Amino acid sequence: MSDKTIIELSNVYLKTDRGHEVFKDLNLKLLSGESAIIYGAAGSGKSTLIELLVGRRFADAGSVELFGSLMQKNKKRIIKSVRRKTGGIGGLFTLVPSYTVSENITLPLVLSGERKKVQKERLMKMLTEFSLLKQASVYPDKLTRVENTLVQFARANVAHQPLILIDEPLAGLDLKTYDRIYEYMSKLAVSGLSLVIVSSEELKNKLPNTSSYHLINGSLA
Amino acid sequence: MNRIGHVCKEIFRNLYRNPGTSLSAVLSMTLLLLLFDIFWIAADTSDKFYEDYLSDLQMEIFISEDYPDSSITIIKDEIKKIDAISSLVFISKESARNELTDLVGIDLLVGYDSSNPLPQSFILTFQNDFINSTDLTEIENRILSQKGVSNVYYSKNWLAKAESTKNIIADIGLFLGILILLTVLVSSANNMRLTAKTRAIGFSQMRLLGAGKLLLAMPFIIEGVFMGALSAGIGWGIIFYWKEKIQFTSFEIVFPTLEEIGFYCLAAGILGLISGYVGIRRALRL
Repeated sequence: MSDKTIIELSNVYLKTDRGHEVFKDLNLKLLSGESAIIYGAAGSGKSTLIELLVGRRFADAGSVELFGSLMQKNKKRIIKSVRRKTGGIGGLFTLVPSYTVSENITLPLVLSGERKKVQKERLMKMLTEFSLLKQASVYPDKLTRVENTLVQFARANVAHQPLILIDEPLAGLDLKTYDRIYEYMSKLAVSGLSLVIVSSEELKNKLPNTSSYHLINGSLA
Repeated sequence: MNRIGHVCKEIFRNLYRNPGTSLSAVLSMTLLLLLFDIFWIAADTSDKFYEDYLSDLQMEIFISEDYPDSSITIIKDEIKKIDAISSLVFISKESARNELTDLVGIDLLVGYDSSNPLPQSFILTFQNDFINSTDLTEIENRILSQKGVSNVYYSKNWLAKAESTKNIIADIGLFLGILILLTVLVSSANNMRLTAKTRAIGFSQMRLLGAGKLLLAMPFIIEGVFMGALSAGIGWGIIFYWKEKIQFTSFEIVFPTLEEIGFYCLAAGILGLISGYVGIRRALRL
């Protein structure tokens, strides 16, 4: 695995506790700066794939490597380190209900021990970029769904994490919001970051620098 | 905000967001620790009472009639060698007779003017550390083995009963203490768990973003320490407030020293630390 490989899934096999095979022979390789969008029907294992990538679940066979480290249940330090390099939007990832928008956005910076001055600068940048200045001191339960998604985008961007996982970013959005979110994802896709987007519906336009895969019968086509 | 700032903010956020839970935790811990304090005072007071009472305990050593007076000093010297003794008084036949006269009057001793049937004796008192059945039995046997000693008497049965009562009180105290401490631990851990449950989504998200266990657990642990120490402090505050108002003349109430109370508050803080960690432990899974 080269230094620039962000994700490498090799022959991943996973079944649920009830014996249902989620992944049979899953393979995926993503280099730094590359992105992937993975389509699949409901129940095909899209969200489970995200869980594998953040160390919430572990493969029964095969290997899951992120940033050159093998994700294993007993390697908690590695999992923590991978998570610090990974941003997330949607699905598993939500906002912390007891934190304001500002606190949610700066959370990855607090966790990585960033200086207060840097935190403030980056927060202002994100609030401005995602038009969230008015919502800075609002708690998540007072946000609209779109605002909530935007805050998650801001949080995933603030610490310049090299990998961002996005679960169903555009499902059920009105046209205007769809375009706005699409625009953000396009920006991220060309910014040198790696995105893994899972979605049940195909995007209207192809994202730049992004490969498309279809998750079907437990493997990627 | 750095990580230390984050932890500090989280402590106050917990208290601010869940004032009812925090207050009920402090009140229930205070009540339980207050019970423990009262028992502690009662146990110390009864111990003091017991020790004061025992310090008056005497042992009488009677000398055989046929033992020559000139050899009594040999017995005295042997007795003096026993470390436990704090005082040794010789009672001659004459002194014994005078004491008896003082007690029962002269009429009962008519006819014993020329012959005094009372034996010569020694009266011993002991250092407090040695006033117990085991040591006194050992001393009794040692003295009885002396040539010229006819009998040794002390309140042997009473001492055994007093010791047994003291042991029962100590056992009850130990049981009650463990029970109260366990209740404090379970009750405060449960409070912490409830607080943690209300923030389960937040914890899950923070873990997903790579937050370490310590960072998440620290506010709860510090809060536990703070609540434990505060509850113990409030308990003693209440006791010392009432101490000034209640006076007993018949016996002295024994209070722990400030140093002991300090250690006690520290122990309550450690108890709070454990309950804080136990309460949050499940919420910290990856």
